Amino acid sequence: MTTTVPAGAAAPAPPEPSPPAPPRRRPARGAGNGGLFVLPFLTLFGLFLVWPVVQGLWMSLTDASLTLRETRFVGFANYAEAFGDPDVWSSLGNTFFFTAISSVPLVLIALAMALLVHSGLAGQWVWRLAYFAPYLLPVTVVTLIWTWLYQPDLGFGNQLLGALGMEPVGWLSDESVAMWSVAALTVWWTVGFNFLLYLAALQSLPATYDEAAALDGAGAWRRLWSVTLPQLRRTTALVAMLQVLASLKVFDQIYILTKGGPNGSTRPILEYVYDVGFTGYRLGYASAVSYVFFAIVIVVSVAQLRLFRQED
Amino acid sequence: MGSASSFRGSPRPRAAAWAPGVSRRRLLRCGTAGAASVLAAGPLTGCASPARAGEPSSLSVWDLFQGGDGLLMDEMIAAVSRGPDGFDVERTILDWGPSYYTKLAMSAAGGRASDVAVLHLSRLAGYAPGGLLDPFDLDLLAEFGVTERDFAPAVWQRTRHRGTVYAIPLDVHPFIVFYDRGAADRAGLLDAGGELAPMGSPEAFLDAGRALAGATGHAGVLFGHVTDTAQSWRQFAALYAQTGAAFTLPDGGPPQIDTDAAVEVVTFMQRLFDGRTNPNNLDYNGAMAAFMDGRGGMVMLGEWELPTLRASGIDLGAAPFPQVFGRPAVYTDSHSFVLPHQDDPDPARRREAHRYVARIVKESLTWAGAGHIPAYRPVLDRPEYRALAPQSSYAAAGEAAVLDPPNWFAGAGSNFQNRMCQPLQSALLGNTSAEKAVRQMIREADSLLRRPNPVA
Repeated sequence: MTTTVPAGAAAPAPPEPSPPAPPRRRPARGAGNGGLFVLPFLTLFGLFLVWPVVQGLWMSLTDASLTLRETRFVGFANYAEAFGDPDVWSSLGNTFFFTAISSVPLVLIALAMALLVHSGLAGQWVWRLAYFAPYLLPVTVVTLIWTWLYQPDLGFGNQLLGALGMEPVGWLSDESVAMWSVAALTVWWTVGFNFLLYLAALQSLPATYDEAAALDGAGAWRRLWSVTLPQLRRTTALVAMLQVLASLKVFDQIYILTKGGPNGSTRPILEYVYDVGFTGYRLGYASAVSYVFFAIVIVVSVAQLRLFRQED
Repeated sequence: MGSASSFRGSPRPRAAAWAPGVSRRRLLRCGTAGAASVLAAGPLTGCASPARAGEPSSLSVWDLFQGGDGLLMDEMIAAVSRGPDGFDVERTILDWGPSYYTKLAMSAAGGRASDVAVLHLSRLAGYAPGGLLDPFDLDLLAEFGVTERDFAPAVWQRTRHRGTVYAIPLDVHPFIVFYDRGAADRAGLLDAGGELAPMGSPEAFLDAGRALAGATGHAGVLFGHVTDTAQSWRQFAALYAQTGAAFTLPDGGPPQIDTDAAVEVVTFMQRLFDGRTNPNNLDYNGAMAAFMDGRGGMVMLGEWELPTLRASGIDLGAAPFPQVFGRPAVYTDSHSFVLPHQDDPDPARRREAHRYVARIVKESLTWAGAGHIPAYRPVLDRPEYRALAPQSSYAAAGEAAVLDPPNWFAGAGSNFQNRMCQPLQSALLGNTSAEKAVRQMIREADSLLRRPNPVA
């Protein structure tokens, strides 16, 4: 590794004879065929992803509405309005709060569940099924179940508290509690996905390190901290990244559960975009707000990527 | 979502006629609005064309009636489809709520919407000014036997925008009270005819609540409002209108509201749902369940819950929302027929649409089965309607109808109602004072009014 060949300089003659012509052409022909295979995807991708993104950017510079009114170019007026709109800030705050209180348990609990299952508990398939099953339910079903659990009068939550001699809680009606209720539902519902990712990673770890550490006399905790968890770092980075992005996108369960109430305390930014654009007809303004959010998501993703890269 | 029946139509001959008239704007609109709605609701919602040439009698109709209402609407459509001059109707049922109104707006903005659609009258101010609706031809309707005189003035006046009629009401569906006749009798609240006697004052209503609570051994008056986006507003709007004060939403703000009257009403609501005589923490389903379990003497609900409550086997009475302040007023809305905007309507089809609306409103005795009050008054005068109990006992509610203040963002299923309900919920739960709740309602209304009006 001491000699370097300057780029473009005549390379020393390779020891083998130069490859015959046909193999050189073959990859070229293969690439052409590949292009053809990718074409349907590229078309759909362009039509339904790239084009709407461009279209949305244009719309955010106009006062486009759902009605028949003529659309006018308004420059950055929508962005100016968005930055001065207290509802944008409060719903952004709600989104970040939700992301914080949901992502951490969603990663930690998933890890704990995967470790438990991987540790060789009896009846493996039961645990796997039980942990993953809620993830298979559609959002409407999940929300319906939890609406009843959170029901102020007859719900399981308050009945349980009552049986323990405690005061009922306004699960969905108390401004300081409602977002936690949403987070609890979300953890129950989606933790199975992260659990599977962790379990797959655990099962693919080479057993040799663990065995070596055991032979050296390391106890179970020591092996977990010093052997297993460090090996899971990449998975943790992936799970955390996916989870933060998923939590930032929260919408459906909140929309069905509380419609953003009480007093807007659970309204995420995407619901605000929906409210403004679809029930308020203001597509231009809604596009501007969603682009502001888009920019924030990109910043968060890049920051996260760098953070984990440094750890690596 | 779109029912399978919407696929029964003829092929789309208008596809060819599309190209010459494609302006950049329309292309954009159909491209964006249409694409979104196509993705959301299947291929026939956004930019689908109505069935046309060759099948002049096949009418496309959009509505939001599911469950029991949906079955009754099927029955009415079947009734008008019989005979030589019967209609061939393609009915599309969409989920009620904000999504319905988004789809309706999108289809009308695309210019090729269904021939007839259902709209809550309270939403008219968000649709007629933006050009999303086409006006009715009253002469044509009169030809088919339906005129202004056939409707209650309180409702009819809301069918107009700038003097032009854009909606024909099918029903009036007020917010009323249902009560357990046995409990009301034991509480001494029935008149000689066995109907709920008028209340007349806030104190009388509070007394009635206590008496009912005594009679049931549980709660007196039930009301489910927690996490609901309409109930508290319905109750507030009814009581507020009873004080005689007006709540108007002039463009640009600020909202015109009598603060004293509003505080008086919210204070009364807090006293009524004090958490002892009457629980203050029920959600909609909880209140329904409690009433059907016999754990309350009276429940405040829309009349559309009649079939559900009747199925519970309670000796059910119903009455217009009790008058406790100065004058009678009942919060109400109205399912109305509208003609969503079409860029190039076919005159023969339009004529059929008018004839269809006229025929259906005359069929509304069937509709009364679900509890709705027919808006077409000749039906109310028929002996068959008078014999309907308890429907006929609250028919008068239509005359004292109060709808949402007209503005583009208000009305059934709107963000406005949701935002009004939030401070009211806090007040009822005891988390805030009546004064603060009213101040927040004004602030919320003001912030909506200050937004640029997208339909003007």
